[in-house]
Amino acid sequence: MTEYAIDIVNVTKRYAEHTAVRDLTLRIPTGSVYGLLGPNGAGKTTTIRMILNIMAPDSGSIHIFGRSSSDPKITERLGYLPEERGLYRKMQVRRVLKFLAELKGVKGSDADKRIDEWLVRLSLKTPEKDWGLAKIDELSRGMQQKVQFIGTLLHDPDLVILDEPFSGLDPINAQALKDTVVDLKRRGKTVIFSTHLMDNAERLCDAVCIIARGEKVLDGTVTEVKEEHGQKNIALALEGDGMQGVASILRDTSLVRRADDSNRFFEIEMATGADPQVLLRRIIDSGASVQRFEMIQPSLHQIFLQRVGAQGVEEGMTGHG
Amino acid sequence: MAKLWAIIKREYLERVRSKWFLIATFFGPIFFSAIIIVPAWLASRSKATSDIYNTTILDATTTGFGRRLAINIAGDSTILSKMPEVRVVAPRALTQAESTATHSVMQNEKTGYLVIDQQTLAGESARYAGRNATSIADMAQIKSAIRETILASRLEKVGLDNSRMKEITFIPLDFSTERITEKGRAGSGMASVMFGFAIGFLLYLSIVIYGQTIMSGVLEEKTTRVAEVVMSSVPTDTLLAGKVLGVGAVGLTQQILWIVTTYVLLQLRAPIMAKFGAPAMNFTLPDISLGAGLIFLLFFLLGFIFYSSLYAAVGSSVNSESEARQAASPLMIMIVSTAVFIQPVLLNPTGTAAKVLSLVPFSSPIIMPIRMAVTGVPPLELAASLVFLAIGCLAALWLASRIYRVGLLMYGKRPTMREMAKWVSYAR
Repeated sequence: MTEYAIDIVNVTKRYAEHTAVRDLTLRIPTGSVYGLLGPNGAGKTTTIRMILNIMAPDSGSIHIFGRSSSDPKITERLGYLPEERGLYRKMQVRRVLKFLAELKGVKGSDADKRIDEWLVRLSLKTPEKDWGLAKIDELSRGMQQKVQFIGTLLHDPDLVILDEPFSGLDPINAQALKDTVVDLKRRGKTVIFSTHLMDNAERLCDAVCIIARGEKVLDGTVTEVKEEHGQKNIALALEGDGMQGVASILRDTSLVRRADDSNRFFEIEMATGADPQVLLRRIIDSGASVQRFEMIQPSLHQIFLQRVGAQGVEEGMTGHG
Repeated sequence: MAKLWAIIKREYLERVRSKWFLIATFFGPIFFSAIIIVPAWLASRSKATSDIYNTTILDATTTGFGRRLAINIAGDSTILSKMPEVRVVAPRALTQAESTATHSVMQNEKTGYLVIDQQTLAGESARYAGRNATSIADMAQIKSAIRETILASRLEKVGLDNSRMKEITFIPLDFSTERITEKGRAGSGMASVMFGFAIGFLLYLSIVIYGQTIMSGVLEEKTTRVAEVVMSSVPTDTLLAGKVLGVGAVGLTQQILWIVTTYVLLQLRAPIMAKFGAPAMNFTLPDISLGAGLIFLLFFLLGFIFYSSLYAAVGSSVNSESEARQAASPLMIMIVSTAVFIQPVLLNPTGTAAKVLSLVPFSSPIIMPIRMAVTGVPPLELAASLVFLAIGCLAALWLASRIYRVGLLMYGKRPTMREMAKWVSYAR
């Protein structure tokens, strides 16, 4: 059993008016970086809250490292970074961190040592200035985010859950977070992050699960998921003029099922049975200057749009779910 | 247990370190001393002040009447400094003497002067002018001294000798007063009423201040999402318990500091009040036995748990300070309506209102200690009050913990009463 960091079986959670998570079964292997993908309101946050035992499922079971998620000892092996972030504004950085560590069962003196290490590592403590002694509200937003990472990781959790970790991060902190995720993975930790940013997920995750409207749409390793969705996609990049002609070709449904238009770059999904060579010839005939024409695996973004559709995105409620 | 302790420690230390705690700790005793001392001081104003000794008697009677009057004003005191100065003047020179005396009052050398003449001897009139002319007590004392002296000299005329005369006219009557209203006796004693009032006010203030402290603390954790991080580490009931205990300990610390410093201030009241020109008052603080003290403490703790858990529930169900103030108004009404009854209960601590209010959980933590301070409460009533309050606490905690764990995760619009009732029914 312990080969899974998380083992969710047939979990359902209902709120007053709607079902946030419907019959979800999900297995996350230990040591993997796992992406929980879905539009806003798909049920990601509810799923995470149930994993963290903040909420109990109405039915189904959740096991973490082979133990029930309601086992109080298991919480000490989890680290959680919530989507919207904040800390006790009037409290000193070190005291906040020590408090968070103590809640995870880290002893006081041990916590002090780790806090020092982390503050130095994220350059919040330099020979000139020790931000650990400042109050939270004296810190810049970026620094507060760093403090929050430290709070999430201070007790060296085996399973780290990051809810929309990249939202609101400046590029430097975003890179620091990616480095941290890579480092955690190298040390055999399991990392789950929920996001609706497919690019990050595709680059960082070993495996993903896409959920929409409370239900699992698909899951598996990134490679599997891509293979499953075939090699029918074509990356097309154009140079100069001639967009008009190409646009009308891409609207031909006998040839193209779907085209994701990023102005100069297109990701094209071919219609069933259509020949890519025909497409290439027609584009060249239209007078467009082709810079790149490549058969590719579909991106997660493309798969996401294909499987969830615009409908799922629009129906998603704002906020949490 | 270690986690509960971590929460208690944070709540306690962060609040005790804040500057508001320091300010409140410093000004509290001054305030409490003031509400005890000022009424007593006002009461003492109705006694004649030492001002009347620092006066001049312009004696135009030519009979030595002034000298005897001075002795009477001094109240049989042989201390020279307590005796008004007597200046014997010829009736013709009176106008001149008066203007000199007026001048010395204006120069602040004397408080005032008294003019006595033949008409005074006849029992018809006397005149006083001075800074304290509006002091009813001072004037009454002078007036009665004049009457006494006239009476004495008349008795002397009919042949009574000096020692007999003293014996007859010396009436050192200690006239104590007690008010009776249609509601009964106005209290068994000033000091115990004041003490009861102080206790009630202290409890009221602590519950309001620290209840709201908990509410805004919960709100802060909710809006900053710290609550989610904490909830992923400890059960919500532990979080709630840690908050109530931690903030309760702050309240207790504050009260102990207040009581100790107020006590010290009251012990030192003589030199302090002398600075304000008031005589030291003679009142003893009521004797509170250790047992009664512990019961007060128990009422504070239970009352605090009752209100603060409900305040926590309110804090968890809203999204901003202004919403919180609105949502807390039912609690505020409960507390304030209790406070409104503090005075009636002090006046009539054994009446029906007092008895009922000291049994109802939301008012008993304030009303019962007041009753205990001013009158004896039957042990059965006391026990019933404590039992009801304990049951009320359990109910409040049960209700609050259910609203709390759902409310902390609900963002967006403020819930209606019906929605909150639904939260209570959620399993988890």
